[in-house]
This record gives sequence, C-alpha cells and structure tokens, in this order.
Amino acid sequence: MTSWKEEIRNRLVDLKLDPVRETEIIEELAQHLEDRYAELLSTGMAHPQAFRAVLSELRDRNILATELARVESQASEPVVPGARRKNMFRDLLQDLPYASRMLRKNPGFTVVAVLSLALGIGANTAIFSMINTVLLRPLPVSKPEQLVALNNTADNRTFPSFSYPNYKDLRDRNDAFSDLIAYRFTPLSLSHDGINERLWGFEVSGNYFETLGVNAALGRVISLEDDGAPGASPFTVVSYKCWQQRFGGDPAIIGRDVIVNGRSFTIIGVAARGFNGTEIVAAPELWFPLSMQAQLESGRSWLDARAVENIFVQGRLKPGVGARQAQAAMNELAAQLEREYPDENEGKRITLSPPGLIGNSMRGPVLGFAGLLMVIVGLVLLLACINLANLLLARAAERRREIAVRLALGASRSRLIRQLLTESVLLALIGGALGLVLALRLAALVVAVKVPVDVPLALNVAIDTRVFLFALLISLATGVLFGLLPAWQATKTDLVSALKDEPSFGGYRRSWLKNSLIVLQVALSLVLLVGGGLMLRALQQAQTVHLGFNPDRAVEVSFDLRLQGYEDARGREFQKHLLERVRALPGVQFASLADSAPVDLHFSRDKVFIEGQPPQRNMPVAMFNRATPGYFQAMDTRLIQGRDFTEQDDQNAAPVAIVNETFARRFYPGEDPIGKSFRMGSAELPKRLVIGVVEDGKYAGLNEDPKPYVVRPLWQSYSGSTIVIVRAAADAQKLIASIRDEVRQLDPNLPVASRTLTERMSLPLLPARIAAWVLGVFGMLALALVAIGLYGVMSYAVSKRTREIGIRMALGAQSADVMRLVIGQGLTLVLIGMGIGLVAAIALTQSMKALLFGVSATDPLTYIGVGLLLAGVALLACYLPSRRAAKVDPMIALRYE
Amino acid sequence: MQYTNSPMLDRELKKGSAELLILSLVEVRARHGYEISKLIEARSDGVLRFNVASLYPLLYRLEKRGWIQGRWVEKAGQRRRRYYKLTRDGKKVLAAQRSGWEEFVAAINRITKIETA
Repeated sequence: MTSWKEEIRNRLVDLKLDPVRETEIIEELAQHLEDRYAELLSTGMAHPQAFRAVLSELRDRNILATELARVESQASEPVVPGARRKNMFRDLLQDLPYASRMLRKNPGFTVVAVLSLALGIGANTAIFSMINTVLLRPLPVSKPEQLVALNNTADNRTFPSFSYPNYKDLRDRNDAFSDLIAYRFTPLSLSHDGINERLWGFEVSGNYFETLGVNAALGRVISLEDDGAPGASPFTVVSYKCWQQRFGGDPAIIGRDVIVNGRSFTIIGVAARGFNGTEIVAAPELWFPLSMQAQLESGRSWLDARAVENIFVQGRLKPGVGARQAQAAMNELAAQLEREYPDENEGKRITLSPPGLIGNSMRGPVLGFAGLLMVIVGLVLLLACINLANLLLARAAERRREIAVRLALGASRSRLIRQLLTESVLLALIGGALGLVLALRLAALVVAVKVPVDVPLALNVAIDTRVFLFALLISLATGVLFGLLPAWQATKTDLVSALKDEPSFGGYRRSWLKNSLIVLQVALSLVLLVGGGLMLRALQQAQTVHLGFNPDRAVEVSFDLRLQGYEDARGREFQKHLLERVRALPGVQFASLADSAPVDLHFSRDKVFIEGQPPQRNMPVAMFNRATPGYFQAMDTRLIQGRDFTEQDDQNAAPVAIVNETFARRFYPGEDPIGKSFRMGSAELPKRLVIGVVEDGKYAGLNEDPKPYVVRPLWQSYSGSTIVIVRAAADAQKLIASIRDEVRQLDPNLPVASRTLTERMSLPLLPARIAAWVLGVFGMLALALVAIGLYGVMSYAVSKRTREIGIRMALGAQSADVMRLVIGQGLTLVLIGMGIGLVAAIALTQSMKALLFGVSATDPLTYIGVGLLLAGVALLACYLPSRRAAKVDPMIALRYE
Repeated sequence: MQYTNSPMLDRELKKGSAELLILSLVEVRARHGYEISKLIEARSDGVLRFNVASLYPLLYRLEKRGWIQGRWVEKAGQRRRRYYKLTRDGKKVLAAQRSGWEEFVAAINRITKIETA
C-alpha cells in the first residue's frame, strides 16, 4: 500500500495540489491499485508480474498527471469577486448534511435545544403577530399608505375628535387631501327576526366608502346622496361578518328593514369582506349616513354645533403630497378657523398620524404594553440562547480534538466557525419553524379570550409575510447569537494539547464564561419570577380590597331606553313598572334601578359647587350616579348617617343627594354634612340637600384612592340608560332569566344585557390578570430553562473533574464530601445570580406599582418565595450531577485519563 | 481504452460516452472507483476498460461539475473508500445524455443499415 502511495505521490508532485486534496487523491488511487493488485494475485499471477501490471496502468501515457492537472487546477485559480459567494454556498451545502448528522447523533441535546428555542421564538413571534396586527398591518382599504388620521391639539393636549362644522370646512377648503372622511362610533340597539341585540356602528360621511375605495360585497355602499338632508336617508350597510353571523348570510338581505334605536332602517348593502371600518381593534357592524345622526342618537342633533367635537376624521393624501406638507396646510386652515370662530377654535392645531388607533390616542398605551411584552419575551429568548450557548460550549470542549485535527489538516478557522454556525443556525431554524406553529396557536388562544368590555374588539391575528419574516430573522439571529461565541471559543484551540487530549488552560477561561452565563440566567429568571409573584399577590390582595359594596349574590340587568326611542315620560313609566314587577319576583331580597354601577372605567364625573364657597378656577369634581330607593341595600352598601331615598323624593320634591364619606370629609370638614347643600354640574342649577352619608367604595378602578361620590334620586333626574340591580336571597344566577322575562313582557324589542356583579368585577382585574399570566408563564418557562442550563453545566463540570474527584476519593473523601463540593459550586453561582437579580427586580418592579393593589413592590413574601423556589430548583439541578460525582470509582477515574 | 487511431477524436468520443457510462453506473446506488471500473469491464465483456489514470480524473471532473458526489465511507473490517453517487443535477444530465446517445446510435444504425442494404 505504501509503495502505491509513493508511486502516485511522485506523479502528482509537480501539480502542487492543496495538501489535503492531495492526500485524499493519493488515498483513493492507492486503494484502487491495491484492489487491482489483489485481484491479479487471485488469478494466480505472481507478485512481481502483478506489481508491474498494476504500475503500467498508472504509467499509461502519463495521462494521470495531465488530466488531474486540468481538473484540479480549477480549484487553485485565484479567487475572483463573485466566485467567493459560490464557494460559500457550496460550503453551506456541504455543511448542512454534516450539521444534521451531528444533530441526529445527539438527540437529547437536539430535543432540548429545539424545544427551548421553539418556546422562545414562539413567544416572540406570537407577540410580534399582535403588534403586527395593531401597529403595522395597514387598514384593508385601497392604497392605505395615503390614509392619515387627523388629531386635534390644544394646550398640549391631543384628542382625536373634531366638530362636524369644522370637519366640513377642513374638507372643503384644503388642497392637500383628495378627500377627508368623518365617522363616529355609535351604540346601537338592533332588532331583527325577533332578536334584540346591543352592538356598535359607525355614522359616516357620504364620501366614506368612495374615499376608502371600499365596495359592496352585495348591494351598494353609502354614497354622497345618502348624506344629504338630515333624516332623509334611513339606510344602513352591514359588515360582511354581521351579514354572516347575524343574518345567516341571507342572499335576500338587500332591501330588508331592521329596527335600529327604535327606528326602521333599510339594508342597502353588505360591505366588502374583511372591511371592519377605519379603526383597527374596534369593529363596527353597521354603517349609517351621518345625515341620520339625530335619528340614531335619540333626537340630539349636533351636526351644526361647532362646539361639539365628537367625530373622527381621516384623509387621503393627494398623490405627491407628503404628510408634513399636508400637516402644514391643515394648520394654516386651523389658524383661519381660529380667526373665524375664536370661541370654539382658540389655540387649536392639527397633527397627522397613522390611521386606526382612535386618531393617535391609543398609540402610546398600545406601544407601551407591546413594548413591555416584547421585553419580557425577549428576555425569555435570551435565556434560551444562553442555555444553548452553554450547552454548545460544553459540546465544543468535547469536540476539541476533532476541531484540532481539522485545523491541523489545514482547514481555515473561519471555515470551521462557519460550519459550527451552520449547526446552530440549523437548530434555530428547526426551533423557529416549531415556534411559528406555537405562536399561531398562542395568538389564536389570546384572541379567543373574551375581554369583558362592551366595545366590539376585533383582533384579527393571522400569519402574513411580515410575521413569517420576523420568525425567520429572529431564528437566524438566534442561531448566530448562541452559536458564535461557542464556535469562536471552540476554534481558539491550542492544537498540540488538544491533539494529545490534554486539558488545556483555555478550559478555565471557558468555564468562567459558562459560569457567568449561568449567573446571568439566574438573575433574569428571578426578575421574571418576582414580577409574576407580585402579580399573583396583587390578585390575592384585590380580593380583600374594600369595595364599598358586596358583589356576591347580586345581579345586574341593563338596557338603554333612550336608544330604543323612549321619550323621558314613557321611560320613567317603564322603569317604575319594571321595578314593581322585579320586586315581586320570588327570591328577590332587594331590587333597585341606577344609571351606572361600580366598578366602571367610564364612571360619570361632574363639577361640584359647594354652597358658601366661591367658584374656583379648577372646580373640584365628584363621580355621580342616579338610583332609586333601595339601591344601597341592593348593593349592600352601608348607610352611615341620615336616610335613604324614598319614593317621595321625586320631581315634585326638593332636590336631594346621598354622598360618601370622602365627599363629606373633603367638602364639609369637621361639620355635620346632613342638611348642607351643593350644586352639581353648574352654579346655575338648583341646589341639592345632603340627606345621607354612605361608606366609601371603589368606583372607576380597584386601585383608586378614596374619591368623592354623589348619588341622586333617579326619580328626580331621569336617565334612559338603566341598570336593574337585584340582591337575591339565595342563588342570584337563577334570577337573571326571570328578570329578563319581565323586561321582555314590557317591551319585546328592547335589547338587554345581564351578568352577575361578580362577573362585572372581572374587568377591573383584567390588566392584573393578564400581567400575572404573562409574567407567571414566562417566569416558569425561565425557571425551566435555568434548571436545564444549570444541570447541563454541572454535569459537564462533573465529567471534566472525574479525575480530580477520583483523586479526592482515593485520598479518603466520602461521597457526602464530593456531593457537597459539587452542589456548593453550583449554588455559589445561583446565589450570585440571585443577588444580581434581586437588585434588578427591585429596580424594575417599581414600574408595576399601578397594578399592585397596594402590595408593596418589595413584598418580602414574594421575594422569599421566589428565592426559595429558585434555590430549590437549582439544588435539584445540581443534586443529580453531584450524585453521579459521588458514585465515581477512584480506580476507574484514575485509569480513565 | 481507445476507439480510434486519432488521439484527438478518441478523447472527444471518450469524453462523451465515458461520462455517460459513469453516470449510468452510479444512477441506482453509490459505487467506488474500483467497482465502477470493474463493472465497465464486466458489462462490456472486456471490450471497454478504464485504467486508474483515465478513470479518476474523469470522476473528479464530474464531481467538480456537481453531477456526482463522492464521500468517504468506512465499512466494518475494510479500509475507507470513496463512494460516488448521482446528484440531482447529474440525474438531469444523465437523462439528456442518454436520449442524445440513443438518437446518435439510432442515426448511426440507420446510416449503416442503408450501406449494408
């Protein structure tokens, strides 16, 4: 064999091939000659003849050298620009099968890596897909990039609404927009086919659909002709979803009449599929011409009122006009309007923003929340990356010899790094693919959660190219992030000692690196866990918040008589009748009516004018409610002083009010509030006499400080929006059906909503619940990642120290000593990490105060609990490797190396 | 192996047909160089023969073009050998060369038949 190699080498020597390549060629050809030689011998040929015959093949017209020179010279051509990339690509094609083989060879490692990456990438992609939906994806209209929202600014305050007369002036006088559209959210009560429903619609300007470029799927859309004389166009366009869900996709829907807010409207069209109006998260189901505004809003017309600012405005920029230019043009107009109508328009200017977030007003909160979520899931992904970097570092040490051999054979370092990176990027891509699937599941789950608010939320989270690209990019970045450092370290090998399989001094540096990664990981997971723990404590605390009423065994049934077209007198009549009938129901302990109920984010407030105190610039404000006698009993609110309302406290009697303790303390300090009087809303209104004081409670949020609160008799100040509040003797849930039945008997067309007061309480707790969920889930995920990471590092450390442990045991160390040694090393890292994490957690959780319901951001119970949990998991993660260490047989260990 | 007395024509012919021979031999499964040379010899009943000096440069050229791919395989009890298998590109080339060759042979046959007729 050797002599064949010599013969071949002699013929190749002039070619000056790459040494590695030359070795390969020689090996292959020598193998061939050897086979041929063996074959000739087997035919009975003598050794010398066979040897000569084989050599003659090689000599044949010296073809080998010339042919090889032609083939192989291509590789030694100078590298030209452009050719390089081809090489890299070819390298990649070579590396991929190799990488996948390496991954298959270590299934345990691969599964752990892919799973943790899938979780990390999945969480990021899920959050991103929501951000994509809310912030990035354009509205489903034609040329959405031309569409902008107008915002009204005055006194450093930005709000999204304009008055209709101002809108008309802006629309008709500007030359920056091809058109401006106006729309307004309006609550609806819809009756059709014997079903009564409360939902939301848009009142829109006649140019709305045309400007947006949205057509009808069926029939026609609202046009300029429909937005003419007030009250003359009782038409409506329904959304595709509404058509499908509420009308069963009835093909004969065009021309049908439905009752909306007590009036008949004809359906003229179904809007294009997927069009949900011009706001992103809130989807109206019906559109009406703005000319029908007064008919939809119980007779109140504000189309001519320049002081009433309640429509949203969007515009389509003319081609070639930039947003900045348009904004300047609009502000000239705003200045003009300010001169013409100084009373209404003083100081008002216009800013433009991307459309769809209620002007620009939702952008801040949405960005804040999305940013927070991105930070959390980013941390989780970082944890997963650190874990993998650590595992790869450990594996790189195992492959030190392989890498050294390849370096010694002439592989370049960058080539090796590239190959190691191929492995990690391949891992990341597999994890990313799985993560994408996970993300879609997660997003669907989140969207399916029904948020207890009465706005039609429509989050349509779907995968599009942007989400896909995000997942791909984040996977690639992840692969490079966790792969680069280990690859760098692995190829920085001391060749001689690596080839001899000696431990290198580089090992100490590497373990230092691994150790600091573990410390960082522990710190990160502690922060997340503390956040989750605090939120859990907060939810627990929220159960004990003093509400000022008792939600148990109480139900509410609500409806709006004004929306249904009732005038005040008829409405009052209806309310009285209903209350009598509900009170007579079996199982009802107390029943009453009110126009709102706590806890409600939109609790009404008004200015308070105290008798004998001069009007101030900033008048104090109190929240107010209207209620019938028996309201406090139905709510189980304690009357501290004075009396409840009676049936005699009606329009014919003197105006009275019941206030809460904070109101009494703030406005009548040190005095008896009973018999005092005040005015509410305006100094011109008749004064109200305080007849009673009730205990403080929560009104607009569980987190609020005690606020002044006023209740007026419903019989003295009518409100069409009505909530029936009933306290049951036993099971409240059962009462709901019979109360709804009573309402139906009085008016079969009235849409009614109902729930228990306990259900009502879920809304104020929602942000805390979401935060607890997010932080808790990701915190546990982080904990699992830490456990895996710690276990991996400690196992590796034990395997590397087998010899040392063997010596210790040979010298008389007991198993317990060895275990103590290993666990001590692991726990030291954990404790350092916890120390750092503690400081970070204390700093970061300060920002959560608003969600904590009075739980301190440094709540010791949480910190101790999280600390113990982490320490316990860490102990377990170190215990298993330590037990393995304790089982080391000194004889085997010493012989091993 | 020599088809004609002219070295140049011989090389050209060889280039075309030898490539086709090798590509078809590694079509079904991967084979090492010695196996390929033995198969050519056996299946042609000894008419065609490649020796080391002409076979391997050809294999390397095909590999460089990306038509076949070689890799070292170690089998128990044997020294490692380099096995060549047909790549995706190679499959296309093989199909094209095969039909080209069949047309060529058919054409030759037609011509020679007329002459013998």
